[in-house]
This record gives sequence, structure tokens and C-alpha cells, in this order.
Amino acid sequence: DSHIQYERVGADVTMKCGSMDWDAAVTWTANGTDIDESHLNGSYLILKNVDLTRSGQYSCYEGSSWHLKYQTYLRVGTPPKEPVLMCRSNNYPKGFYCSWHLPTPTYIPNSFNISVIHGTKEMVCEKDIYPKNRCHIRYLQLFSTVKYKVTLTVTNALGKNSTTLTFDEVAIVKPDPPESVVAKPVPNNPRRLEVSWQNPSSWPDPESFPLKFFLRYRPLILDQWQHVELSDGTSHTITDAYAGKEYIIQVAAKDNDIGTWSDWSVAVHATPWTEEPKHLTTEAQITDTTSASTSSFMPPPTTKICDKGAVVGS
Amino acid sequence: MAAADSPSAALRRRDLCSRGIRLAGKMRSDVIDLLDTYVERQGLDASASVVTVEGVPVAAVERWDEQTGTQRLLENLTAYRAFRVLLAQMLEEHREQLGDADTGLGRALAAVLLQVSAFAYHLEELLRLESRGPPSEEGTAPPPVPHLGLFERKLRGLGVLRELAQWAVRSARDLRQLTKPSPGSSSAPSWAESP
Repeated sequence: DSHIQYERVGADVTMKCGSMDWDAAVTWTANGTDIDESHLNGSYLILKNVDLTRSGQYSCYEGSSWHLKYQTYLRVGTPPKEPVLMCRSNNYPKGFYCSWHLPTPTYIPNSFNISVIHGTKEMVCEKDIYPKNRCHIRYLQLFSTVKYKVTLTVTNALGKNSTTLTFDEVAIVKPDPPESVVAKPVPNNPRRLEVSWQNPSSWPDPESFPLKFFLRYRPLILDQWQHVELSDGTSHTITDAYAGKEYIIQVAAKDNDIGTWSDWSVAVHATPWTEEPKHLTTEAQITDTTSASTSSFMPPPTTKICDKGAVVGS
Repeated sequence: MAAADSPSAALRRRDLCSRGIRLAGKMRSDVIDLLDTYVERQGLDASASVVTVEGVPVAAVERWDEQTGTQRLLENLTAYRAFRVLLAQMLEEHREQLGDADTGLGRALAAVLLQVSAFAYHLEELLRLESRGPPSEEGTAPPPVPHLGLFERKLRGLGVLRELAQWAVRSARDLRQLTKPSPGSSSAPSWAESP
């Protein structure tokens, strides 16, 4: 008979050659390769302190006839550790999603089961096709003071573990970052930059559930960010920029009334408008030199992916 | 039902709604502060789960987005009239229990009570813009104060403040819904039909 046998890393494994007697003459192979006699005790195969490399197909053949008497697929792994579970609403008030992962791999198949209880009511968590380790729940009720309790149980052949989160409806509301952030110089204004962005497309009803925004900006030459909070609108004019210095700008979003700030948006770069130098030669004057170079118009030669270390969104 | 809105009524409503949204926002932050003070002064556990307290209007609602404007206003008004009574009872109990020993909590309770009363009046103003007007309060005697032990009263107070904090969020959302033009119409909808 052939089947899968799961064993823990570090275990000692004994395999019998099917119904063959202890003293029968047999040959054992691992993935088709004969196993050294030193691993045999009579017709039993003894594997000590197995590690991951021991995983594979083990076959036992009767000595003289070479009949296959036993075959198993050995899978060496570990029981699951407590899974990491996170729930979040980035499309409030439609619903929220929960996603999970294991802190360390188990090397063998795991199955996950999630239960979502609101008060006394069990709610359905519809699994997403992708990513696999995620499901989403539709709010049946809004503005509830009753907590949600989400329990994730992970099981594999070697063990079982679970984790539970309890939270209020409002606590997990965290929008996605603002999108389409654009920064432009303001002609004839050497200290201004015009920044605009859009609500995250995942936020379903910005009219009834308006977002407020947090803008941070700094010249590349400095480390210190400047911040400004904006309670409505999706644009802002920076009026205190250092003339001629390239700036890096990011935006974050938060529901006006509840929840936490999003992560920072992708960073954009811009340099305020600068005066044309007067002493240009004739040839230079003919060339139409664009004084301002703004990443939003031309992708910078190298796009600096800024540290997304969120002051806001972590 | 509301007749087609005269421009002045629409403007008046929009003004009342936006002021109401700001009042609800302020009320919420004050209630959250009051909740923290209340939990601390009453020696409660902030994460204590409070089963639905009888007589306290529950903010939780299903199919919120399908409610008409009038439903929103009426449910809000019923809730804030109830909170007005509940907070007055809490204030009375607080004075009996602690006298002047803890004026901080008492003042905070009184301030929120004032805001709740102001918000209820605001809702009545909005309903007056409808031909029907707000329901009268006569003949609706406040619920009798239940005889509870000290700890149950504290838990009840926690339940009241938690629901009020949620109502403040809901009210802001409700009022924003009222200012939303329904699809295809330029002016704000007549509330009877519009979600």
C-alpha cells in the first residue's frame, strides 16, 4: 500500500515492509536509490532524527522476487505555529477583510478555517481567489458597539493552532493610500508647489464617508518633514518651499470620523519654478528651455522608492 | 412628504446639515474624552463588553444606505431625546453618589448633555423644514429609572456613552446623506424617498 506519511523534524521513524516478517530479506529504496543496510533492523527501515531532506518516496521490495511490498511518501515538517491574523476595512462601510500568514513555514500542507462572530451572529467570510490567505466580510450592521470576534484555526497532519482577534467596527477602518499624487511648480512662484491627489479607488463613498488627508513634504537635502493636515479637498498648495530645491511629497488618508491613517502614498518629486537666468547668449535664448523639471511630467531617471516607513500608516 | 423644495428651504437645510455635521463631530470627540474619564473615575475596564442596555437607543442599523431622509431624522431625534433623559439621570446619580467630590466628571457629563440637547433641537429644526415637522414629546414619559446596584449603574452609564459615541458618527453620516443630491437631480432630494 502506498500513502503519505507525515513526521516531525527530529523524529525517529520506523517503517515496516508491509506484511513482511521482521526477518524477511528485503531491499529499501529512497527515491529509487538503495538504502544502506546500516539503516535496517531486520526488514524494518529506521530513520533517526529526520530532517527536511529525508522527505521522499520510500519503497520496500521482497528480497528474491523484487515484488513491491510497501511504498510511502514521507513528508517531514512541523506543526503550525500561532498564525498571524490581521483584519482591516479599506472600503468602509462595505465590509472588511481578514488576511493571515504563518510566522514560519511548516513544509507540509496546512488548512485554514476562519470564524467571524458579531455578538451572537456568525458571519460569512468569503474567501478571495487571490490572495489565497484572505477573505472578506460584508457589514450587515453599521455603527454597532458590539465587538467582532475573528478566530483563525490552522491545522496540518502534525498539529493545530489558532489565534483570535476582537475589535470594534471603527477600530479597523484604515483606507488605502491616496492615488494619482501629482506635484507641479507654480509659474512665477519660486516658493510654491501645487499638489493634487485622488481618493483611493477602493473607498466606495467619499461623499457620505469623507476622507481627510495628511501631506508631508521636505526638500531632498533635508531629513525633517513638514506636515499639513487637510480636512477636505484633494489638493494643496505648498507656499513655503525653498526656491530651486527638489522636494519629495507624500499623502496619507483617514476617514473623517473613525479609524486610523492609511500608509503613505507613493512619493512624488517636484522642484519649484525658478527664474530664467538673464545673461543667456542668443543661441541659448532660442532654445526653449523648460526651467522646471517635475517628475510628474517626466519620470525621473531613477525613481527613488522612498522609505514607506509610515509615520502615519504603521 | 416634503413638497418640492424652495431654494431658500434647500439652502436652510444645507446650512443646518453642515452645522449639524460639525456639532456631531464635536460631540463625538467630547463623548470619547468623557468615556475615558468615566472609565477611569468609575474604575471600569475599558474593554468591558456591555450587553445591550435596556432603554438605550442602539446606533447599530442594518441596510443603513437604504433609509430615507425622513427615517434618518426621525430615528436620530428619537435617539437624542432618549439620550437627553439618560444623561440627565446619569448626572443626577453622579451628584447623589459623589456630590461635589468629582466635579470634573460632572461638568463633562453636563457639557455633553448640553450638546445632546442642542443636537436634538437641531434635528427638530430640520424636521420643521418638512411639512410634517418633528413628533411631539408630550405624552412620552421618560422610562422609569431602573433599580440597579452601583456597579450595574456604572456599566449602564458605560453603555449609554458608548452608544452615544456611535450615534454621533452615525448622525454625521446621516446628515451627509441628506446633503447628497440624489442621482439625476440638481437639488437635494425630498427626504421622504431618498436614501
